[in-house]
Formats: sequence, structure tokens, C-alpha cells
Amino acid sequence: MKPKEIDWNQLSSIIENHKGEQWGLIPLLQEIQETIGYIPPESIEKISNAVNLFPAQVQGVITFYAGFSLTPKGKYVVRICRGTACHVKGSRSILRLTKKELGLEKGETSPDYQFTLETVACLGACFLAPAMMVNRTYYGKLSPPKVSSVLAQFKKQEGQ
Amino acid sequence: MDEISMAINGIRVSCPPGITILEAAEQNGIKIPKLCYHPDLKPFGACRLCLIEEEKNGRVMASCVTPVAAKMEVLTDSPRVIRHRKNIVRLMMAEHPESCVVCSKGNRCQLRGIAAEMGLGETGLYPIPNYKSIEQANPFIVRDLSKCILCGKCIRADHELVVAGAIDYNLRGFKSRPATLYDLPLEGSNCTFCGTCVSICPTGALSPKTTGYVGTPEKETLTSCGFCGVGCSILMGVADDRAVEINPSGLNGSVNGATLCVRGHFAHDFLNSKERLTQPMIRGESDLKTVSWDEALDRVASRLLAIKKDYGPQSIGFFGSSKCTNEENYLFQKMARVLFGTNNLDNGGSMAGRPALQIIDEKTDGRSRINPLANLEKAEVICVLGADPCQSAPVLSYYLKRAAKRGVPLIGIDPRKTDLFPFSTLWLAISPDKDYELINCLAAMVWKKFAHDSNFIERFTEEFNLYTEALSSFNPERLCLASGLDMKSLAYAADLVKGKKISFVVGHGITQQKHGARSMEAILNLSLMTGSLGCESGGLYVITKENNQVGAWDMGTVPDALPGRIPLGDGSGRGEWERAWDVKISPDQGLNVVRMLEEAEKGNLKALYIMGENPLRSLPQHERVEAALKHLDLLVVQDILDTETTRIADVVLPGAAFSEKGGSFTNMEGRIVCFTQVVPPPRDGKPDWEILDLLGLKMGYPKAYRSLERIRAEMVRLIPMYAGLQETPGDAWTWIRRTETEKTLRFSPLQTTDQGPMDDDYPLTAILGSQRFHLGGGTRTGISKRIKDFGLKGEVSLSSKDGARLHVKSGDTVHIQSREGALIREARIDEDLNEGQIFVPTAFHKNDAMNLVGLSVLGSESSQGLKTCQVRVEKLEGSK
Repeated sequence: MKPKEIDWNQLSSIIENHKGEQWGLIPLLQEIQETIGYIPPESIEKISNAVNLFPAQVQGVITFYAGFSLTPKGKYVVRICRGTACHVKGSRSILRLTKKELGLEKGETSPDYQFTLETVACLGACFLAPAMMVNRTYYGKLSPPKVSSVLAQFKKQEGQ
Repeated sequence: MDEISMAINGIRVSCPPGITILEAAEQNGIKIPKLCYHPDLKPFGACRLCLIEEEKNGRVMASCVTPVAAKMEVLTDSPRVIRHRKNIVRLMMAEHPESCVVCSKGNRCQLRGIAAEMGLGETGLYPIPNYKSIEQANPFIVRDLSKCILCGKCIRADHELVVAGAIDYNLRGFKSRPATLYDLPLEGSNCTFCGTCVSICPTGALSPKTTGYVGTPEKETLTSCGFCGVGCSILMGVADDRAVEINPSGLNGSVNGATLCVRGHFAHDFLNSKERLTQPMIRGESDLKTVSWDEALDRVASRLLAIKKDYGPQSIGFFGSSKCTNEENYLFQKMARVLFGTNNLDNGGSMAGRPALQIIDEKTDGRSRINPLANLEKAEVICVLGADPCQSAPVLSYYLKRAAKRGVPLIGIDPRKTDLFPFSTLWLAISPDKDYELINCLAAMVWKKFAHDSNFIERFTEEFNLYTEALSSFNPERLCLASGLDMKSLAYAADLVKGKKISFVVGHGITQQKHGARSMEAILNLSLMTGSLGCESGGLYVITKENNQVGAWDMGTVPDALPGRIPLGDGSGRGEWERAWDVKISPDQGLNVVRMLEEAEKGNLKALYIMGENPLRSLPQHERVEAALKHLDLLVVQDILDTETTRIADVVLPGAAFSEKGGSFTNMEGRIVCFTQVVPPPRDGKPDWEILDLLGLKMGYPKAYRSLERIRAEMVRLIPMYAGLQETPGDAWTWIRRTETEKTLRFSPLQTTDQGPMDDDYPLTAILGSQRFHLGGGTRTGISKRIKDFGLKGEVSLSSKDGARLHVKSGDTVHIQSREGALIREARIDEDLNEGQIFVPTAFHKNDAMNLVGLSVLGSESSQGLKTCQVRVEKLEGSK
């Protein structure tokens, strides 16, 4: 299966809206990441022209921040917290279980572009440890059954 | 502002505000170790080695990014600072491969140097080498990023000095490395292989790819680059009496600072090539055979004197070199004028656009001879006309790109969108024959806005009224109709220059063009009108193709002027030279190189003495030139390489390259750069001045010079322009002396333009131009190993529309025919070209591009110029 087709017109109009100063780069990248789901590498040169930077500089900013991706991600991005608090509370098993449930390794995206599995250093929700996020929703105080049911919920949504 | 008083290591120092603690310490002789700091780059604070401790509050900070403040008391080597510093170096070493034994950075590695200074051998840490594969597909630069310490010097040099933007940091944390876009190899990026990053890299992460020698050169000697008119200051690394490495000198005030271009850095391989001439040769029955110096010089002297006796002085010609030194050109023309009484003198620069330079010199009465490129830092608006400095004079292009990045408006006027296009504020892609009209239209629009500099005009100029009257006949609307430009762009251009001093950068698209002289006058008129002359924020920078093009002219190796640019027609000036040399000098112009060849064809010119030129490659119509030279009774060629021309010579004298002798070059700025010998000439080769000196003695000149200093002393005495040489040490520079003049500047009268009808048989306009890997005809760069290994094909570029019409795709072979000649080349479709124009790079394939244009005297009525010609393009069958 292929990722969602990129709407190049939409992409160009985002770039056009942010045309101008160099400080506009990060808001521009954020908007592309948000709308398209990732930053198509082919768009780097267009972006760099719009903000008057070298393409290599734009690439450097994209690859520096974990929030930007140059490859398409799944519809649901699952982020397992691997911070200290979560680690103490057993996030290693949570990760192992999630890998097994989704059939993905860390950083991988499923071939049908439904799921991407990532780990983060800390989600800032230590009181909920062990925690994970699916897209923008937090899931805390996880246990293996809870992980399975959360993931099943998203898989089920897809099944319909 | 008041000086700031502070204490460094307990010593009271005072320093100007705004500088960093590191700079303050260095100014006071206190050394602080550093890896990421470079005086030409913005402070960065990456390596943290320059840590210092503030005594009062115990704060530790990086001195390279911390400005000085009053009453500060800092310690640069407290136990705490030393402990931190050692740990930083230990961590760097733990990540660094232990390959010092085979690393080509050798003893110049700054990391190794600092570790040694600190007494760090074993790190005592668990090594975590960060291995990356070594990338070295291109023949110039080896990237071994396992040795990278992330100081960012290469990236900052790329962005701040060279402004190429090929690399930046990629990824983050342990994985972070400098990378090109999409992490492609360098040849897949917009890297120009200038090698600036290689010279600036403190470790072995970036090193030059050398073929013959690996390691630290035995010594490094300061000299001057042998290629283009910028004349960069370089350090030549020597091992076993061979030049093995080139680096920018980085000298304060030098034209190039820490930068160089691909030619300067990597194309000097020709110095060690097997094509070097090493022994004098004389033509026997058919072949050239090796002889002793005595025999060769005897032959030259006796034959030349015999020809002079039999046929008179007009039967001998002298073709000097814009690549030989000032001292040599001075001797060369003196030999011609004193011993042979002829003005048949010329140098390669005459075909590289001297007539246009001459116009400025005459019209300004020598007031625009000095144009330091550093003034471009103060430019208000830059106008680049018919120039592709990114290819022809890369170090000049860095100045322009830096200015553009700072926000100085840059207007490009060129049919092709060159590499400067992305930096330009406005690009006027005018066709090559319309620049005269364009400049005048621009002037008319400035006049309409009353944006001229009336103060300047009143004080220094005359005939402004006539000029403005004539301007009224130039109609911007009509130009737009005829050229496809739009009024909006033209109006924008006028807006950009109005009320400002303009810095003009003029290239061969003007100076080698048919009406180059006329366009030069128009440019000069516009700069007078805007008061752009004689100030630092404006100026007229004309690109010279070769490193001593200006010097060869100054020394009088031209048919119409004596040393010091004294016209032959100037009676009193000539009289002074007659007295100095004790001879009669004919006031009549001698033959220039084209006329010499024409006279040779007719059999009137019997002998030609060529020093350091390869006309069989550099001039148009190679076959015609060859036939003319073969028609001579005597052809003497003094050169450093076995060339097309030496192969047909009767006597070949092996000279010395710039690195093998002392001397001076004068660059496009008017800077006279002196240099000393770096290595001896190969085998029997001799410095060219020495050959001329010996020859002079044999031909009856009473006294030999025997040393460079004596020649220089005579130049200093007799040429006021070069008086500055007197107190200049052997490896420093001085400037051409300004001549005092009261003459008012006169606006040049305008001419009406009418283009001849297009020839339907040749519907396309071919533009000839250089590529940064080669210089001129490519005699030297063409045999430089690394340039050859890069494997450029020199494709001809066509616009996509012409490509479609002619069914030519990239990779096809095309036949290009002009009225004068033809060539076959691979084609490439270039989106940036205008329809109806093709681009043919020079220097490739024995410089066959020059066969498309006719051999003619540049600037003469009949000349079609050397820059463009009408052609017909056909796709060759059998190509893909």
C-alpha cells in the first residue's frame, strides 16, 4: 500500500503563505508536518527558496527536531515513553508488548501506513507512568491488558 | 568609545569594547587553545576548548563567544579550566579513530597538536569510535567523517565565506555530521570543490585527495596563484622539491583570505606533469632534438639577428604572456624595442579584452586603476554585467554573494542565469547585443528621476548636457519590445540604482563582445552620472582572465604603449623612454598578435618569438593559426609545457612556472603581488627572465641583469606606477601608484545602434564561456591530473524549447556550425537558457570552441568579438 498522495498544490500554498523571512522556517515546517503528515524531501528546495536559506540548512533543521519527519508516518503514531519514571514502572515490557502487537520495531511504520511505533525520552506525564501517546492522546498507568485494548481500539476503528 | 580595562591571568589589559575575551587575550600575547574559532568566521562556541574562568564568581565560559566587560578578571589556565579542557579533549579523542599514523593531516592536525600540548596520550576512556564510511568518489576532497569533531568550521566557511550552501549539520546528537542535501556525495551537491573547507578543517575529516604524496609537506612557502586575474595569495606545500599541496594563505588583507577556488586549490597539478619541458630543443631535419642552452640560445640569437638584417625590424614579432611576471614582460618588450627596434609586441591579454580596459583607462585618465575587491564590502548596489564570476573568477563571486547575503541589491545583466541568479535581486536576461541600449536606457530612466549625482557631475565632469540630450533617443519601451524584457523589471532596476553609488562588475560578456568598447563607455557614463567613481561604495571592477593581464600591459608588452601605459603617440613620454634606454622608438603602433599572424600568412613576418603563450589553443581558428605559424622562417617558443605550439616550433626554450622563480604579478584590483621561488625549475628549465637576460647578452645587449632585483630596480626607477615595488619585500604586495591628474572626466558621446539582419542559415546565438575547472584555453588546467580525473565532458547547453524543436535530448551528440568553423559535442538541456541561445564551454577538447569565432582584432571594426557567434545546430544521427 502507498501512503496518502501528497497534495502538491496544498503544499505549495503553505510554502507561499510563509514566504519571507528566515524565522518563518519552523512555523512553516510545523504546518507542513501537521497537514501532510511529514515533510516530503522533494519540497526542501522549494522551502529553502521561500525563506532564503540554503537547502542543506533547511534539511539540518528538519533532521534536528524529532517533531519533523522526512518519511511518511502511519495514521496512528504510537509513542512509548522511555523516561526514568516510566522505566521504573516497567515501560520496557510495555514497549515489548506493543512491538509484538503491532509487529513493528522502534521507528518503523506498518506497510499499510496505519501505525508508526516510536519511543520518546519523556512524555512529561510521569505521574501517569508508564505512559504512551497515540497521536495526541495520552494513555497512562498502562498495564499489558490496557495496552492491548487501546491498540485494539485503533485496529478496530480501521476494521470498520 | 572608551577602552575597556580588565585583567587576564592577573595582568591588566585594556582593549576596545565589543571584542571577545579570546581576542583580547590573543592581542595581549596570551594563548588560549581553540578548535572551532577562526578569525574570518563568526564566533560559534562549538568546541568549548577556549574555556576560561571568571575569578570573582567562578563562572566558566567559552572565551570565543563572550565579549569583554569592564573590571572582568579572568583566568585562562586555572586548575579548574585545565581539568575541564583536558576532559573535553579526552572525550573528543575517545570518539576519534586512532589512525594518526596514516592520516594525511599528519602534524598539522590541530586536535593532535592540542592533545600533545596538554600532555594527553591515553584518554583512559572507553573508545567509542563513530565510524562512517570514507567518501572519496571525486578526485579533489576526501571526507572521512569519523574524524569530524563537529567544530562547524567547514559549514561556516561554506555559508559565510564561499556562500555555496553545499553542506550543513544533519541529524542530531551522536549521529550529527556535516552533510549535503539528501546526504549525497559532494559531486551530487552544489559543492564547487573550492577546497576552502579542506584547508580550514582542524582534523583529518576533510583532506585534499593527493595522488603522489601523503603526509605533511616539508615546508610551506607563500606565493601567488597562477590562474585568474584575482591573483589569490597561496601557501604552497613542498616535499622533495615538488609542489604537493596548495592552501589559501589566510593573510590579513589578502584578496582571498581563507578562501580559494577549485583551480587554485587543485589544478596546480600541471606543475608536476610529465608534459613539462625540461630541456632546450632545436628542430633538426624534422624532429625537435635536445641541445644545450648555449646551442639553443646561439641559434635563436643568430637567426633573429640575421632576419632583422635581411628583412628589417618589422619582420619580427614578439608575443609575450599575461601569465609571465612583470619583470619578464618588462625585459621581453625591452628586448623587442631596444635590440630589434620593433613595436610588434603583444600578449595574451589583448584577446581577453584589453581594448575595453583601455577605454576606461583613457577616459578616466588612469583614475580607475585601483579597485580593491574589499571595497565591495561597502557596496550600495552591485550591477554584474556580462560576467559569470562564479565560473571565471570564483573568489570575486564570493565577495558578491556575501554582499547579496548582507542585503546589498544585486542586479544581474546577462543572457544566461548564472550561479549568481539565486543571489540576485533582479535579473535582466538581455540578449548579448542589447547591453549597450540597456545601460543607456537605465541611464535615461535615472535621469528622468533626477537621481543623478549633480555634485559629482559639476565638480569632475563635462559635457553632461550633451549626454542627457543624447539619452533622450534611448527609449526603454522600444528596448523592451525588441528584447523581450518587461518595463516593470527595467523600472525596478532604475529604482534599485537611483540615488546610489553603483559597483559595476564587468566580465568578458562585455569586454570580449563585438561592441565591448561602446558598452564600456556606456557603463562609464552611467558611473559618472551616479558619481560612482573614486569612492569606496561604488566602482568599476573589470574581470581579467589571467593573473598578469594587467601587468603585461603595464610593462608595455603591447603594440601601442610603453611601460607605465605611456601611449606610443605621447611624444614626451616616449622621449623619456628613449633617453632611458638610449634608443629611438618608433611612434607608430606595432602589430598586434592577429596582425602578426596575418603578416605571417602573407610572408611579411619572418620570425615570431612567443613567451608563455599557446596560440594554437587559445586563439580562434586553430588551423589558420597553425598554417600562419608554419609559414614563418623562425618560430621560437619559450614555455613550461609541451603544447600544440611548441610542437611546431623551431626552437623550444624551457622556462619556469611562477612557483619556480621570483617575480611579481598585477591583479585585477591593481595590486602588485611579489613572490619568491618555491621550488627549482625541473631539470634544465630556467626562469624566463634569466633566459631573456642570457639571450640579450648574446644578441649584443652590453650588460646582463643577472638578478631579479636589478630588473626590479630599473622598473622602479623608470615606471612611476610601479614605484611601490621598491620597499616591498619579496613575498608581500603593494599597489599601483595613483597618478595625479586634473583632467576633467568627459561623458562619451552616444551612438545609434543598428543590428545587422539575422542570418537565417545560422539561427542560434552561441555564447562561449568558461567553467570554473578550467582557465582560458585550458593548456594548463587540461593536463592537471585531478581536473582530468573529474571527467567533465564540456557539454553544450541548449534551451528546452530549442531542444524540443531540434529533437535534441540531454546526452545526444550535436554538430554545431558557424560561418567560421564547426565542432561536435554532447548536448545538455538547460532550463535557464533563453530560447535561441546555446552555451559552449571553452577549454574543452583542445579549446575547439574557439573555432566557432573568427580570428580578428578585438575592438576593431571588422571584429565580431570572441564571446558570441551565430550558429546552426544539428543532431547527429547515431546518438541516443
